[in-house]
Amino acid sequence: MLKIRDLHAQIGARKILKGIDLEVGTGQVHAIMGPNGSGKSTLASVLAGRDGYEVTQGTVEYLGRDLLELEPEERARAGVFLAFQYPVEIPGVNNAYLLKAALNAVRKQRGESEVDAFEFLALVREKMKLMQMDESFLGRGVNEGFSGGEKKRNEILQMAVLEPRLALLDETDSGLDIDALRVVANGVNSLRSADRAIVMVTHYQRLLDYIEPDFVHVLSDGRILKSGDSSLALELEKRGYDWVRQEALVA
Amino acid sequence: MSAVTTEPLAHYRAEFEAAHGRESAGTAQRAAAFERFAALGFPGPREEAWKYTSLRKLEARRFPSRLAGRDMPALPPALAARRLVVIDGRLQPGRDGGNLPRGLRLRSLAEAQADGESLAALLRVTQGGGTERFAALNAALCPDALLLDVAEEASPEPLEILLCTSAEQPGMSHPRLVIRAARGSSARILLRHSGDDAERWVNSVVDVEVGPEATLHFYRLLDSGARGFHIERVEATVAQRGTFLAHDAQLGAGLARMDLFVRLAAPQAAAELTGLFLADGTRHLDSHVRVDHMAVDTRSLQDYRGIAAGRGRAVFNGKAVVHEGAQQSQARQSSRNLLLTPGAEIDTKPELEIYADDVQCSHGATTGQLDAAALFYLRSRGLSETEARSALTRAFAGSVLSRMDHAEFAVMVRASLDARLERLLEAQP
Repeated sequence: MLKIRDLHAQIGARKILKGIDLEVGTGQVHAIMGPNGSGKSTLASVLAGRDGYEVTQGTVEYLGRDLLELEPEERARAGVFLAFQYPVEIPGVNNAYLLKAALNAVRKQRGESEVDAFEFLALVREKMKLMQMDESFLGRGVNEGFSGGEKKRNEILQMAVLEPRLALLDETDSGLDIDALRVVANGVNSLRSADRAIVMVTHYQRLLDYIEPDFVHVLSDGRILKSGDSSLALELEKRGYDWVRQEALVA
Repeated sequence: MSAVTTEPLAHYRAEFEAAHGRESAGTAQRAAAFERFAALGFPGPREEAWKYTSLRKLEARRFPSRLAGRDMPALPPALAARRLVVIDGRLQPGRDGGNLPRGLRLRSLAEAQADGESLAALLRVTQGGGTERFAALNAALCPDALLLDVAEEASPEPLEILLCTSAEQPGMSHPRLVIRAARGSSARILLRHSGDDAERWVNSVVDVEVGPEATLHFYRLLDSGARGFHIERVEATVAQRGTFLAHDAQLGAGLARMDLFVRLAAPQAAAELTGLFLADGTRHLDSHVRVDHMAVDTRSLQDYRGIAAGRGRAVFNGKAVVHEGAQQSQARQSSRNLLLTPGAEIDTKPELEIYADDVQCSHGATTGQLDAAALFYLRSRGLSETEARSALTRAFAGSVLSRMDHAEFAVMVRASLDARLERLLEAQP
C-alpha cells in the first residue's frame, strides 16, 4: 500500500529525514519509535503533505500513485488520514460541519453519494459512543476549549467516521491519562482491518500495550536503524534507544 | 481658494440655489449649513481624519441632485416585516402603506414643523470630525428629513428603512434620518443602503437620541454597487441608563466612509458598537468610530472586524474619550483584521484618551492572515483550499455576526458575505 524509498526531507537548511525506506502492506500495523528529534513527526507530516518540508530525494508510492505529487486534500480524499500530535483549535468552525464536509469529500472521491443530515447524524452518534464523547461536542468549534485527551479522542473520532485506507497516528498517546488511552486505543483497534494500514509514530511503548503492532521500526537521526516485530518495542522499553544506535555504528 | 476647489463649490452652490434658493421654511438654516460646507470644502491630503482616504475622485465629479421616483429601482427582499422605502432621500408615498409598527411615529420635515418641532434641531450640524462638511452639505441639500419617534415605554416591531437611489442614473442624494427613542422604549431600526452599479454619491446623515432607560438597536447594512461613493455620519446621544447598540455591516460601495460618533451624556449610559467590513476588489472602506464618555459610570464597547482582499483597502479608526469627571467608566475596544491576499491593506488605529483616574479601559488591534496550521488541518481532512479558506474567513466574521440578534439581518449579511467570499476565493490562484 505504501512504499517509501530513500526519502530525504528538510526544513529550511536543516536535514531531518536522511534516507527512509519503509514498506507498509495492506492490513498491517506499523509502529515507528525513536527518541525526540529523530524525525518521527516529520515523516508523518511529509506523508500528509504539510507545508514547510522540502523533499530533496526519494519517492513515496501510495496505492500505486506518487503521493508526494498530491495536495493535502487530495491525499485525504484518497484515503490518507493523519491524526495530529497537536490538533488545531479552530473557533467558529463547527465540529459537525467539518466532519460532514470531510466525509462528503471522501465519499465523493469514492464515487458515493453525499450523506444526508439524518444518515450523517446516525453515523456520527455511533462513532461518538465508541469514543465515549458527548454529543454536545458536535456543536462546538473544532477542538475549541477541548482538553488534551478530548482533542486526541476527536482525532480518532474523525478517523472512525472517515474510514481511511492509511491512518497515520502522530504521538496519539502523548498527554493521555490511562483511561483516555484505553478509549483511544479501543477506537484505533476497532479500525484494524484487512484493507487498512495503520502507522503509529510514538515515543513510548505504552500505546503498544493496547495496540499491538505487526512491525516495529526504530528511527534515529532521520534513518530507520532497526526493524522487528512487537518484541522489539519491549526491548526498547527495557534498554532505551542507545544500544540500537551503538549496534548501527558497529554495523 | 484654488481653482480646483472653487469649481466643485460652484457646482454645489448651483445645486443648492436650484433646490432651496427661493425663500421657504428652513432657508436660513440651510443657507448657513451650505456656507459651513463651503468654508470647510473637500478634505485635503494633510487632514488627519482623511489620512488614508482620498476624496479626489469624488471631488472631481459633478453629480446632479436626483428627483425621486422617476425610475424605480429593483428592491432587495425585506429584512423585516415592516419596511419603509426611501428613494433619493424621499419617503416613497404609499410605500409605508400604514405599515408602521405600533409605537412608532413618522413625520416629514414639513409635518414636524407644522407640529411645532424645531427645524433648527432637525437640520442641526454638529461640529467636529472629518465628515462635518458633508453633514453640512446634507443639511443644505436634503430634500426632506424623516423624523422617527419611538413612543415612551413602547416596544415596536423591528422596522427596516431601505434607502436607495433611482435606477441606473448617476446622481447624488442626501438622505437624512432623525431617530428619537423616548424614555423606557425598546426598538430595532434596520437601515439598509442598497443600489445598482451606476456611479453615484450618497451622503447620508443619521441623528439619534436615546432617551433615559431606552434601548435602541441600530442595524446598518451597506451593500450598494462597487462604483458608488458613500459617506455617512451617524451621531447618537445617550441619556441616563439608556443603551445604544449599533451593528454595522459594510460590504459595499466603492468608496465608503462611515463616521459613528456616540456621546454617553448621562450616568449609566451605555454603547455597544460592533462592525464588520469586507473590502475586496478595489473597494475602499473607512470607518471612524468615536465614543465620548461624558458622565460617571458609563460603558462602551467597540468590537470591529475587517477583511480585505484583492486590491481592497480598509481603514478603522476607533476612539474612546473618557472626559474629566466620568469616573467608574469602562471603555473597551477591539479591532481585528484579516488580509486574504498580499495586495490588500488595512490600517487600524484604536485610540484612548482618558481624563479621569478611576476608569477601566482596554484596547487591542491585530492584523494578520489566515492561520496556516488551521488551513492545513482542514485540508488534511479533505476540504479544498478554497473551502478551508472560506470556512476560516466565515469563522473570523462569525463572532461579530453572532452579536446580531435580528435573525433576518444576520442571515442576510452572512449570505452576502458567503457569496462575496466564494467569488473572491474562487478567483484566487
